[in-house]
Amino acid sequence: MNATNVKVGDELPTFGLELTSTMIVAGAIASRDFMPVHHDAAYARSQGAPDMFMNILTTNGYISRYVTDWAGPKSRVKRIAIRLGVPAVPGKTLRFDGEVTKAEIEGDELVIDVAVRAANDLGDHATGTVTLTLPASDS
Amino acid sequence: MTDERDPVRERLEAFVGKPMGETATAPDPVNIPMIRHWVAAFDDRNPVYLDEDVAAKSGFDAIVAPPAMLQAWTMPTPKIEGIAERGGAPTEMQFENPVNVLDEEGYVGTLATNSELDFYRYLHPGDLLELDIVVDEISPKKKTSLATGYFVTWITTYRVGDEVVGRQLFRIFKFDPATMGGAA
Repeated sequence: MNATNVKVGDELPTFGLELTSTMIVAGAIASRDFMPVHHDAAYARSQGAPDMFMNILTTNGYISRYVTDWAGPKSRVKRIAIRLGVPAVPGKTLRFDGEVTKAEIEGDELVIDVAVRAANDLGDHATGTVTLTLPASDS
Repeated sequence: MTDERDPVRERLEAFVGKPMGETATAPDPVNIPMIRHWVAAFDDRNPVYLDEDVAAKSGFDAIVAPPAMLQAWTMPTPKIEGIAERGGAPTEMQFENPVNVLDEEGYVGTLATNSELDFYRYLHPGDLLELDIVVDEISPKKKTSLATGYFVTWITTYRVGDEVVGRQLFRIFKFDPATMGGAA
């Protein structure tokens, strides 16, 4: 992505993550979160959850990936602020969408806000804003 | 809400603005094996995390860790045995904190509501993180559509040496499961 072709109102390509137990466990362990609700379905159900569910570090990891897949290697993620909703559980596609809500040159950078949402058929799993920068002139 | 005294809230008040535990140090510095593990787990194709040439062409001095790994570097080494019985806590928490107090008072349900991560700079292999946690805010007793409880907010500051490299605001709702679904 190049700073000159980012403008307010741009939509990021939608990404559908067909979420499996393996993905949830992989994210939990890569983020060193060993809470049983993130890898043990029977334990999670005993706690009232429908199944094992994604941990918050993993949610942040996927949101970061979603935005940088679009913005490219020259982008810098500055802030990920999310409100958490329904759990992300195996067998339910987690659908990511995003829209540019700010694109302003500050010094030698373009500062971009992206309103992001990750949702499944239970509702919104996470909604919020990612702030990132791109070099203002890419020469 | 009424103006009645709330002894639970009064117990919690003592924690607001205070550190939660001691300064903690990451078990290991930022390192390539953990970055590779993360990148594979998320199938994150951003090349700056493992390819030095692309990192250099993208304006970095060296390989950088995925920013969202910030908290992962400082997760305590867990004691796996008994972790379920401890409610998922990686280790026994030795210090008094508002979450323990709320558990004692019957507000044993936990729902994370907000996470706000700020990254002041990307981390490189070799950076050793330290963190301090401060209790930022504890709400009065609230009745939400889920249950009755308290919102607890804390802020974690991440440093490498004296340099603050990131910050996280985290908010949870600690609730009494007996009040779920509109029960008193």
